[in-house]
Amino acid sequence: MTLFDIIYSGNDELFARADKAINDAIAQYGEDKAVAFPDTAYSLPCYYGVTGQKVGNLGELKAALANVKETLMGRKPRLNDVFNSGIASALCAEFLEALKYLDGATPYELPRYGHLSDAMIRELGVPLVTGDIPGVAAIIGTAPTAQDAVDLVKSYQAQGILVTLTGGVIDQCESLGLKTGFNIRVIPLGDEMQSVIHVVSVAVRAALIFGNITPGDLPGLEKYTMDRVFAFVNAYGPLTDEIFAYGGGAIALGFPVITNEDRYRVPKSLIYQEDVSKFNATSLEARDIKLKITNIDIPVAFASAFEGEIIRRGDMQVEFDGSRVDCFELVHNKDASEVEDHKIELIGPDIDTFEVGSKHSIGYIVEVAGKSMQADFEPVFERKFHSYLNCIEGLMHTGQRDMIRIRISKDTFNAGFRVKHLGEVLYAKVKSEFAAVVDKCQVKIITDPEMCTKLRHELAIPMFDKRDERLTTLTDEGVDVYYSCIMCQAFSPSHVCVVTPERLGLCGAVSWLDAKATNELDPQGPCQVITKEKVIDERIGEYEDVNDAVRKFSQGALEDVSLYSIIEKPMTSCGCFECICGIEPLSNGVCIANREYAGMTPIGMTFSELASMTGGGVQTPGFMGHGKHFISSKKFMKAEGGIARIVWMPKDLKDQVAERLNETAKELYGIDNFVDMIADETVVTEDPEALLEFLTEKGHPALEMEPMM
Amino acid sequence: MPFTAKSGKFNAKINTVAVGTGDAAITLGGENVFPFYTFDDAIENAPKVGIEITDGGMESEPECVQKLYEGCTTVVDMAKKAVTFEGVDFLSIRLEGGDPNGKNRPTEELIQIVKEVADAVDVPLVVCGCKNVEKDSELLDKAAAALEGKNAMILAAKEENYKTVGASAGLAYKQVVGAESAVDINLAKQLNVLLTQLGVDSKTIVMNAGTAAVGYGFDYVISTLDRVKAAALSQGDTTLQMPIVTPVASETWTVKESTASEEDMPEWGDLEERGIDMEVETAAAVLAAGSDAVILKHPESVRTIKAMITELI
Repeated sequence: MTLFDIIYSGNDELFARADKAINDAIAQYGEDKAVAFPDTAYSLPCYYGVTGQKVGNLGELKAALANVKETLMGRKPRLNDVFNSGIASALCAEFLEALKYLDGATPYELPRYGHLSDAMIRELGVPLVTGDIPGVAAIIGTAPTAQDAVDLVKSYQAQGILVTLTGGVIDQCESLGLKTGFNIRVIPLGDEMQSVIHVVSVAVRAALIFGNITPGDLPGLEKYTMDRVFAFVNAYGPLTDEIFAYGGGAIALGFPVITNEDRYRVPKSLIYQEDVSKFNATSLEARDIKLKITNIDIPVAFASAFEGEIIRRGDMQVEFDGSRVDCFELVHNKDASEVEDHKIELIGPDIDTFEVGSKHSIGYIVEVAGKSMQADFEPVFERKFHSYLNCIEGLMHTGQRDMIRIRISKDTFNAGFRVKHLGEVLYAKVKSEFAAVVDKCQVKIITDPEMCTKLRHELAIPMFDKRDERLTTLTDEGVDVYYSCIMCQAFSPSHVCVVTPERLGLCGAVSWLDAKATNELDPQGPCQVITKEKVIDERIGEYEDVNDAVRKFSQGALEDVSLYSIIEKPMTSCGCFECICGIEPLSNGVCIANREYAGMTPIGMTFSELASMTGGGVQTPGFMGHGKHFISSKKFMKAEGGIARIVWMPKDLKDQVAERLNETAKELYGIDNFVDMIADETVVTEDPEALLEFLTEKGHPALEMEPMM
Repeated sequence: MPFTAKSGKFNAKINTVAVGTGDAAITLGGENVFPFYTFDDAIENAPKVGIEITDGGMESEPECVQKLYEGCTTVVDMAKKAVTFEGVDFLSIRLEGGDPNGKNRPTEELIQIVKEVADAVDVPLVVCGCKNVEKDSELLDKAAAALEGKNAMILAAKEENYKTVGASAGLAYKQVVGAESAVDINLAKQLNVLLTQLGVDSKTIVMNAGTAAVGYGFDYVISTLDRVKAAALSQGDTTLQMPIVTPVASETWTVKESTASEEDMPEWGDLEERGIDMEVETAAAVLAAGSDAVILKHPESVRTIKAMITELI
């Protein structure tokens, strides 16, 4: 027999039972006898949800059953008929259950609940919507042993998942003294399989109450339960035709069935898991349930108050120092099958075997997997490690990549802090802050020195190189979209940054990859996608779509911006700029001042004087705020001739950007050691004539260029 | 050539949101012109004025307010009295005693008060939390449940707890959901979008886009309200077309101008007058910047602001 046949047969059997029961009831009470579940405004909720029709008495119930037969019980070998027959089976079960409540009867005695009231659903609905109840497990049938049943229920309970029990599993839990009840979110429904309908009724009413689904809108209902009700079924074999029929209904609503009976398998929907102790993990993965992490299991405090804490040598238990021995930290995107969630593995000795005050190697790899995870996010997560680890009381972290240093204080060590706790912190923070893209996360911590050396050189450094390579090959032309960033609008209401691969945000903190990650993680947040399909002027980098976006995000304050010009429609600045660049007319070039530079510039203004002209979200032709990295970009003032216009920079800033700036100059103009042609405050601070003299002496290319204005 | 005035009415308009039930129900919003620009087009629903009491009853009121509630012993007595003052459109009860850093009154106790107050008065009700987001999730969830059918306004869902408050007040119990953000148009917009995505009907959302007492960073409040209204009307931004409700009393009655005694500050003059002045000035300014309702404490302020609104509309 095929799975289709089994479901049809189960459905037929249920229909026959419902038909007989309704006819018997009518024979006994007459057609006008009232039919209702107690404490609900939704009549027979499943039937009402599916068809939009309310059933008030036995006569209407009979008509309803006929309607089910006619509209849902198709028998063609098509998927749609199977799903509908599954739903029809659920409705037959609901009718059978409704008959139990005739005459205000109370067919269920606690601890069995049977029908659940609207009030209960409202109470459950809020935590279901917020994710405080991350999912609903419908356990049905009889487990191999009572202990198996109790273990499974407890595993869900520990995760905050709502559990309903149907069938022999109730007695099994009772026999081992497991507490059940609505208040502790383990709800035994009833001993008969058909009582499983009461959890379906919860899902249907949740859709009507919380999803504003119109009763009768079956596709809408199915979409809501699929997208928003994170329920699944754990069915212990042997499975009867009846259970298969309900399973068809569950799958139609988007609820996968996990079973230990290996008769049929349907990918993502009917899943075989031989080992019942793995039902939990298999179910969570199948239904894509993400658990909220509320506390971090470490023996010391964790708070941002500890971020700036310094651990002196004398207070230090142990140190890991990347400047002396091989150390590294790494986020690695993996396939889901390679990652076991919350596995924390230590390779090498723990810190209690180290001498007090000694120096060691450490490497930690946070391996993540997720459907929406991208390798581009790796460095974004990695950069947060510094702040995560510093929040640990008595732990100091500096640096990044393979230049890290970690000190652990004696007090923290004595409180019981060990290496695995680093893993706990990284796991918890990555999992909770990046929940939108990280489904699973495991941490490997290596303290074995040889292994650290090996992994640093064979895994970490090649990955860092690859990422740097990716960054340098990312060009504005090479991507389809840019991103807006309006993080600063709280104090600069009309400013909008347009972040491109070659022009990072003017604060220097938001690169194109950061903006992309921010957008994925927080789709309603400050970074929105900006398309760049309609070019207006390639030279200055002006696009119709970019202008539309800027107009929208500045609430109409800005009309149009260019990406590559300082003269024509320059991009605005909020006030967070790392650097400001302004025109120096005499030399036909620009001077750049960075925030740290307190002195005078040849423009005749200090950084703060320049800032007052440039900030506030207004366009000031001739002045532009930007990040340090932008200085070596090929798109820097591209419209006005590029970096060849830079005639003056403070020495500190020159040193910081020299290497990359020289490379760009070589590539663009074939000039070697371009930075040496740029003046700084050791040559000239404010006299434009002296500047011109210096530039002439050096043969600076700006002197030969077209006038900017 | 004769002067032809150009009408400043917009095609877009602010959503109308009804609060309360029966004859006393009020409607907020609906305007398609800037605040009080009745010369551009008629403003159908004048801004509304609410009066605020707290779970602390008489004890937590300033002396000058206490004397107007003379004879009241319970919060319910005060509620009954409050709605009799001239100009009151709705009643707000602030559950400030729930704050875990303050009195930390249990939720059940506070909800009991809310229920009693709801039974005692007919006017639309607003329930304000205690400003602690975690406690508010619980308090406002239970308050929304307790007031089922009253079409009350729940102030407010914030970014941190919008799911709980939104799901409870907006979805489960069909109340009016307040969306509170801190003086930033983008955060205000983001919260509205998030609530809508949660399934809350945008026509049942009101905004508290942030508030302060005059002189206390108030310029930010005004420019935020201005920009919200401009985006909602001139740009037709549907995610910002929710009416704005500004709780004024809870800000103005704690600043030094309203609390410093006459002994300490003889040159500042009468304490009661100062308190009223702070409240009236703040309320008048937020109304002029686009608020569709204000919540005040002193009956004299309520009367004054109501008179101003009546005069201008």
